[in-house]
Amino acid sequence: MARRTGRPGGVFIAGESPLVEEYAAACIAAGMTVEVRFNSAPGGRLPAGARRALGARRDARIALELTNTSGEAKRKNLRAMDRALPEGTPLLSASAAITVAEQSGWIAGWHRLVGIAALPTLLGGSLVELAGAPSVAPVVIAAAREFFRAIGKEVAIVGDTPGMVLPRILCMLVNEAHFALGERIAPGDDIDTAMKLGTNYPRGPLEWGAAIGYGHVRAVLEGLQRSTGEERYRTAPLLARRGNAFSHNVEGMPL
Amino acid sequence: MTTTVGIVGAGTMGSGIARVAAEAGFEVILYDLSAGALTRAMTMIADGLRKGPGEAAETFSHIRPRRDLADIGAADIVIEAAFEDMAVKREVFRALDRVVAPGAVMATNTSSLSVTAIGALTRRPESVVGMHFFNPAHRMRLVEIVRGSRTSEATVERVRTLAGAMGKTPVLCTDTPGFIVNRVARPFYGEALRLLGEGAASVEEIDRIVRLSGGFRMGPFELMDLVGIDVNFAVTQSVYEQFFHEPRFRPHPIQRRMVEAGTLGRKTGRGFYRHG
Repeated sequence: MARRTGRPGGVFIAGESPLVEEYAAACIAAGMTVEVRFNSAPGGRLPAGARRALGARRDARIALELTNTSGEAKRKNLRAMDRALPEGTPLLSASAAITVAEQSGWIAGWHRLVGIAALPTLLGGSLVELAGAPSVAPVVIAAAREFFRAIGKEVAIVGDTPGMVLPRILCMLVNEAHFALGERIAPGDDIDTAMKLGTNYPRGPLEWGAAIGYGHVRAVLEGLQRSTGEERYRTAPLLARRGNAFSHNVEGMPL
Repeated sequence: MTTTVGIVGAGTMGSGIARVAAEAGFEVILYDLSAGALTRAMTMIADGLRKGPGEAAETFSHIRPRRDLADIGAADIVIEAAFEDMAVKREVFRALDRVVAPGAVMATNTSSLSVTAIGALTRRPESVVGMHFFNPAHRMRLVEIVRGSRTSEATVERVRTLAGAMGKTPVLCTDTPGFIVNRVARPFYGEALRLLGEGAASVEEIDRIVRLSGGFRMGPFELMDLVGIDVNFAVTQSVYEQFFHEPRFRPHPIQRRMVEAGTLGRKTGRGFYRHG
């Protein structure tokens, strides 16, 4: 039976696949009621217990915007959510590709905006990175902490820098592996094997890129390059091609 | 078929590789000019074998320490594990070229120098190949097999087979700066140092995030302290120089300052963390 956000603990999630499904599943597992809205139809597979919504409900306890790959879709979602949600409702936004400071300029309710280092697969870890908007209300940070504690995650508060901590490190590893693969220094399997056995990485960087999604990795790198103006963050040609090929999937269109 | 492996250099890597080769059932000739280095290496190998699961005395008896390079001539495959300096490699490979048997393979355990350049020091570059073991050699399963521009396919296959026989997992790569691991791993440290420099998070917080959110066994600062901040800085500098100052590999001033201060990690008791 579908759960409703009208009950205490209601969460509204908007954004792109697979982040929406991952967060919805974690909330449902913690006993929360969840409504979701994908950026484009038909979107991802709805986790059991979640319900599709047309827009943010006024009675949502907390709202999440989970888009990395399209700044335009993200801005549209945040504005709509900011207008629809009561002033006190915290707004948690995926901020691996766009800083919280930049996003806070898009909405009137910047004081309730908290960034999450949200990339596909990272919710599998036991800790989540958060970054507040420049003048975020402490009560909002406390609410964000409480939300993640309820879904079984520790929280680390980091500075609002592009890519935050883990997405920046991880996406740069994925990028370097794609430079190496594109230059044919070794077969892809050998690159992954070398990094797992030579440095004890939990996954090979190419494997990780595929799991995160090339569009998300590319969005983080482009965000870093745009914010810093540094050449070191340019996307490897092979990764850029893969990002293009998979971008249709992000928009919910068939591959 | 390889029956005898020659190792040049009885330091940490050389003695580690000698132990692994002996444990895999090969006859081993371990060469070093220094009697002291050979004694230390044989003691270290004996201690290691005693703690291991195998027949220590039997394995140990297969390793012959030698101070005359001509004795290496009996080896089918020679693995050079001398000091990581091109002047040293030049001297070693010119000498090896004179004593190594025709048809034998000359492998280098270099982690940062060009295998192609080392091959060009000899009259048989087709027989020269990279065989990069990781420290500690008896525990780390990976071996990077590095194909120089003139390395023959037969040479690559022989060392690949040898690595497999030693219980290692060989990966094949072309001769480019940092090979696979030392190149692809650079952002793990470089971005962590930049985040620290930008004040985005503390050393402890970055390590904690990387471990708990990413599932890595160690954070970048913990790992730099373990490996040695000077060693890590030298690798970064080498890759940066060899890529003609590609910005992705640019070293960070924080790391250089720590090297200048002598705070090199666990080995000095102080690095990004205090130890001991």
